[in-house]
Amino acid sequence: MFLTRSEYDRGVNTFSPEGRLFQVEYAIEAIKLGSTAIGIRTSEGVVLAVEKRVTSPLLVADSIEKILEIDTHVACAMSGLTADSRTMIEHARIEAQNHTFNYDEPVPVESVTQSVCDLALRFGESTDGQQSTMSRPFGVALLIAGVDDRGPQLFHTDPSGTFWRYEAKAIGAGSEGAQTELQEQYHRGMSLEEAETLALKVLKQVMEEKLSSTNVQLAKVTEQTGFQIYTKDELEAVIGRL
Amino acid sequence: MDFAQFQQAPVSVPTEHHSHGNRWDPYVDNGGTSLAIAGEDFVVVASDTRQSNGYSINSRYSPKAFELSNGSVLATTGYHADALKLVEHIEQRAQLYFHKHDRAMNVSAMAQMLSGILYSKRFFPYYVFPILSGLDAKGKGAVYTYDPVGNMERVNYQAYGSASALVQPFLDSQVGFKNQRNADPSRLLERPQAVKLAIDAFTGATERDIHTGDWLDLFIIDQDGIHQTKRELKHD
Repeated sequence: MFLTRSEYDRGVNTFSPEGRLFQVEYAIEAIKLGSTAIGIRTSEGVVLAVEKRVTSPLLVADSIEKILEIDTHVACAMSGLTADSRTMIEHARIEAQNHTFNYDEPVPVESVTQSVCDLALRFGESTDGQQSTMSRPFGVALLIAGVDDRGPQLFHTDPSGTFWRYEAKAIGAGSEGAQTELQEQYHRGMSLEEAETLALKVLKQVMEEKLSSTNVQLAKVTEQTGFQIYTKDELEAVIGRL
Repeated sequence: MDFAQFQQAPVSVPTEHHSHGNRWDPYVDNGGTSLAIAGEDFVVVASDTRQSNGYSINSRYSPKAFELSNGSVLATTGYHADALKLVEHIEQRAQLYFHKHDRAMNVSAMAQMLSGILYSKRFFPYYVFPILSGLDAKGKGAVYTYDPVGNMERVNYQAYGSASALVQPFLDSQVGFKNQRNADPSRLLERPQAVKLAIDAFTGATERDIHTGDWLDLFIIDQDGIHQTKRELKHD
């Protein structure tokens, strides 16, 4: 991968002479090992779809949670080291609750995304001589979907603490193929229903296992109902449309 | 030397009235009156500009209602120095909010924030009775009132300050239509009536309250912005 590996890929806070932070780059690579997640924005709302890797028939598929609620109007799909995402989601939830406590209004989607990215940059940091609490970058990428007074929005964050706004974005192992497919199929006038179908259709193409209601999760965030995870029946209805 | 003379109590000097001996008292009531009346799509805010300390007048033109950067108006009474600091405090937080979220605060957000600011000084309060006015997210007139430690209430009209005991009952009758048969207490005033009542309220307050007078700062907030005018009150 990186042919010029040297001692500069050890320290998390050390630039290589070429100006790279290898640990951050490796963390971005780690996401490409994660399960695929897709987000699609429409004028009616945002759809999130994730693949769940049910690695054993004895594994309880429902215990895999890859789409989580941040606030009633913001949700998040993840890929990469799921455990790392706990810290980030917790941070985002606190930010959202604090905003409502202080200003009696829902937190803007971009602000909660920014605050998660601020956290992502705090690796290797410590306060006067204390052990740093985060020794390495987060190995997780997020798709943050939400609705606020600027309408439905979708953001993608990565371990470098950068975020981008997308109309449609795929992350994880199948992201390259999925992103190409999204680029071809996405159009701005898309309805939420079309987005549901497209998300699962693209996911189906890049998944190794056969797509079913147990190994994918689908969710939406809309102005009217806020964040909702599709029930098994709702999910099967969408799968039926494929 | 006869030290006994130093042990005696000092000759009493007439000073400002202190309610608790010679304890350190960082607060002064600078008097004056502020009011706000909400309409369907506007708010009228009025404050006199006299600033007094006891029987003395510190200033005949010391405004205590302030235009804020997000298009709302904060009318105050109480301790003027605290009011000035409170405005700085609010504006700083509003500026941080603007940079963080890339938009101006709406009045409801600022109202909630102000409650938090006041309560954060629960044990050394700003001695200020704020009235925050502006248009809400739907463009309706919004008036938020507070006590010095942050109790907040959204109301249709309010009078605070040294003549509040005179003005509030007047507003209760003429704006709130309280205790009147065949009257709708939720009815909001039209703009000319609201302005007229605000002026009449201050003319009356100036007649009877020695701490209210000199000039009247009048603000009308509507969707076009804030329109400010200055009127004369009695200077006696």
